Amino acid sequence: MMSLLQVEGLSKIYPDGTKALDNLNLEIHPGEFVVVIGPSGAGKSTLLRSLNRMIEPTNGKIRFKGKETMGIKGKKLREMRRHMGMIFQGYNLVTRVSVLKNVLHGRLGYMSPLKGALGLFSKADTEAAKNMLQRVGLYEQIYKRADELSGGQQQRVGIARALSQKPDLILADEPIASLDPASSETIMHYLYTICKEEGIACLCNLHQVDIAKKYATRIIGIHQGSKVFDGTPEELTDDMIRLIYNQIQPKVKETA
Amino acid sequence: MNMHHPKPSFTVLTSNTEPKKPKKNGLFVIGLPLVGLLFVFSLYQLQFDYSRIAEGFVKLADIVQVMFPPDFSEWRHVLLAAIESLQVAILGTVLGILIAFFLSFLAASNLTPHPFIAWIIQSAASLLRAIPTVVWALIFIVSVGLGSLPGVLAITVSAAGMLIKVFAQSLEEIDKGVLEAMQATGASWIAIVMQGILPTVKTAFIAWCVLRFEGDLGESTILGAVGAGGIGYELTHAMKSYNFAGALFVGLVIFIMVFSVEFVANRYKMKLKVRSH
Amino acid sequence: MNVVQMQSARKMKRAQTIMFLIVLLALVIWSSIGTEFSLSALFAGVGESLRFIFFDFLPPDFSSLPMLLEPAMQTIYMSIVAMVIGSIVAGLLSFLAAATTSPHPYLQVFVRAATSLFRNIPVVIWTILLVAAFGLGTIVGTMSLILISIGMLTRSFAEVLEEIDMGQVEAVRAAGGGYFQVLSQAVIPQFMPGFIGWSLYNFEINVRASTIVGMVGGGGIGFILQSNLKLFQYQKASMAVLLVLVIVLVVEMITNRVRERII
Repeated sequence: MMSLLQVEGLSKIYPDGTKALDNLNLEIHPGEFVVVIGPSGAGKSTLLRSLNRMIEPTNGKIRFKGKETMGIKGKKLREMRRHMGMIFQGYNLVTRVSVLKNVLHGRLGYMSPLKGALGLFSKADTEAAKNMLQRVGLYEQIYKRADELSGGQQQRVGIARALSQKPDLILADEPIASLDPASSETIMHYLYTICKEEGIACLCNLHQVDIAKKYATRIIGIHQGSKVFDGTPEELTDDMIRLIYNQIQPKVKETA
Repeated sequence: MNMHHPKPSFTVLTSNTEPKKPKKNGLFVIGLPLVGLLFVFSLYQLQFDYSRIAEGFVKLADIVQVMFPPDFSEWRHVLLAAIESLQVAILGTVLGILIAFFLSFLAASNLTPHPFIAWIIQSAASLLRAIPTVVWALIFIVSVGLGSLPGVLAITVSAAGMLIKVFAQSLEEIDKGVLEAMQATGASWIAIVMQGILPTVKTAFIAWCVLRFEGDLGESTILGAVGAGGIGYELTHAMKSYNFAGALFVGLVIFIMVFSVEFVANRYKMKLKVRSH
Repeated sequence: MNVVQMQSARKMKRAQTIMFLIVLLALVIWSSIGTEFSLSALFAGVGESLRFIFFDFLPPDFSSLPMLLEPAMQTIYMSIVAMVIGSIVAGLLSFLAAATTSPHPYLQVFVRAATSLFRNIPVVIWTILLVAAFGLGTIVGTMSLILISIGMLTRSFAEVLEEIDMGQVEAVRAAGGGYFQVLSQAVIPQFMPGFIGWSLYNFEINVRASTIVGMVGGGGIGFILQSNLKLFQYQKASMAVLLVLVIVLVVEMITNRVRERII
C-alpha cells in the first residue's frame, strides 16, 4: 500500500533551545487510525503542528500524498493544509458566529481569498455543511452561536469542520482532554466511525492509554521528542506503557 | 482491533425539518445603516466648505514648514510653565482623591448609613463629572480670578466626580460575607474599614488614581488655553503671535510630559497584571 | 520562602509604602508652594465659587435656549462624524498596530508611534494648530475630534485585537485560510464587540471634548459658552452649561443602552 504521509528525521528545536522533536520517523497509510501517546511535553502537539506546518520544523522531510511539503509557502501551503483537517483540544471554534459558519470555515482553503474573506460560501458547501452537522447529531443547533453549545457539542462541530475540508488525513490534538468521560466516549465514537466510513486516515494525540487501545489500529509512543514505540494495540504491553511514560533518560542519570 | 464500540451515550436527533434560521442580529441590520445615515445627515448639516478645507491643507503645510526647527530660546519660561501644570495636576488629583475617598464610603450602597445619602452623593458626583473640566475652569476663573487656583479647583472637582463613582463601585464589589464575618467579631466600624475593606480595594483604588492622574495631567496642560495658568497659556500665546516654531517647542514639551506619564502608568499597570496572576 | 525571608520581604514592602507616601507628601508640598496654594486660599476660593455659582451664575436664562440649539446640534454632528471616520480609520490602523495581526513589526511600531502623537497631544493643541490653517468653525472642530478619535481608538482596538483567542485563528489557518480569510472569519467576529463598545465610548469622549474644542475656535456650543463668559452674560452661560450637561447625560444613557445589548 502506498503511504499517505511519510516523515523522515523530523526535528524541532524552539528558539529557547527546547528540543521538542528529535529525529522522528513516521509513516501513515490511507485509512489508518493512529493514536500518539506520551507524557505531557513529549512533543505530541509539536508533531501534529509540524505536519501541517502550523509550526515550522527545524529539520527533516515530510511527504504528503507523494509530494514534498517542507518549505512550500503561500498558496501551495494552504492547498496542502486543506487536505489535512485539524481538531483541537480547546475546540477553537469562532465562538461568536453560528455553528454552521464554523463548519463552513473548513471550506476556506478551497475558496478564492476574496470570496473567503467576504464569507460568500456556495450553496453546495452550505448544504454539505448541514449534512455534516446532521451526521454529528447537531442539526437542531446549526444556527446557534458556537458558545451556546456544551464542550462535547463544540468538539463535534470541530469534527464537522475538519470533515468539511474533505481531508485525506485528520490531525486530532488531544480532542477529548477537556471533556468528561461520557462526552469523550461520544467524540471518539464519532471521530472513529466517520473516519472509517469516509476512508480518512487519522493521527490522534491522546492522554488516555485505555481509549488509545480501544480505537487505534496502530499506536505510536513518544518520549522526549523521540519515537519509542510503534505497533499494534496488542503489542503495547504494560511494560511498554511504563517505558513511554516513565522512561528515565540515561543522560539525566549521568549528570545527577 | 476491538470492534465493540459502545453506542454514544445520547440519542442522535434525526429530525429532517431544518431549524428556523434566526433573524439576523437586529443591532447590525438596523444599527449599521442607522449610523451610516446619521453620519451622512451630520455631514450635510455641518455644511463644510470643501474648497476651504483644500486651501487649509496648503496653509497647514506652510505652517508646518515654519515650525521647523522648533525654537528652544524660551525654554526657561516654558519649563517653568510646564512645572506649574504638573503641580496643578498633582494638587488637583490628590485633593480629588481625598474627597472621593471619604465620600465613596457614604456613596457605596453596601456601606452607606442611609440609601438617601448614597443617592445624593452619587447624583452630585455625576453632575460634577458631566460638566467638562474646562467649563469648571472657566467658572472658577470668573469666581476666583486667573492663576493656578482655578486650575487646581477644576481638576479637583472633576477628579472627585469620577473617583467617587469608581471607588464606590469597587467598594460595592466587596464580598458581603467578609463584612458579615468582621461584624460578627464585634469589630468597630473603623476597624472593619482598616482591616477588612481597605486591603481588598487597595489595588483597584490605586489603579484608578494612576489612571486619573494620567488624564488630569493632560487636562492641566490645556487649562492654560482658557486662562488657568500653566503651559497651555504659553502655547496659545505663541500661536496667537504667529511664533509657530516656539509653539512647536511647547507642543513637544507637552507631548513628552503626557507621554512619559502614560509610559510609567503602563509599566505600573503591567506590574499589577503580573501580580494579580 | 522561610519565615525569616517572609518577614524581611514584609519589612521591605512596608518600607516601600512609607517611602512612597513620603515622596507623595513631598510632591504635594512642592506643588502647593509652586502654585501658591494653601488651605485658606482653597476655602476662600470654594466660598467665592459657591457665591458666584448661586448668585451670579444661577438661575439659567432659559430665554437664550433657542439660540443655543443650533450650536448644540453642531456639537453632536461633529461628534458623530468624528466617531465614524475615526473608528473606520482606527479600525484599519489597529490591525497594523496589534502584535497579533500586524504583517510586520516595524509597521506596528510606526503606527503605534504615529497614533500616540494624536493621543498624547491634547486636543486643544490640535485645534489651535488647525485654526491657524483652516480658520474658525466646525471644520476645525471636526478635524480635531477625528485626530483624537484615531489616536484613542487605534490603541484601544489594538488592545482588543491582542486579547483575541488565537486558537480560533489557528483553526481557520489550519483549514487552509489565508491572511484576509483569517482576518474576516476568525479575527473580526471576536473584534466586533470591542469595536462597537470602544466606538461608543469614543462618541461620549467626543461630545465632552467638543466643548473645549469649541472654546478655542472649533465651533459648537463651547464657542457660545466662551463668548457668553467673556461678555459677563453668566446666566446665558449657565444655560449653555446646563445644555452641555443634558447632552452629555443623554448621550451616556443611549450608549449605555446600546452597550448592554451587544454584550
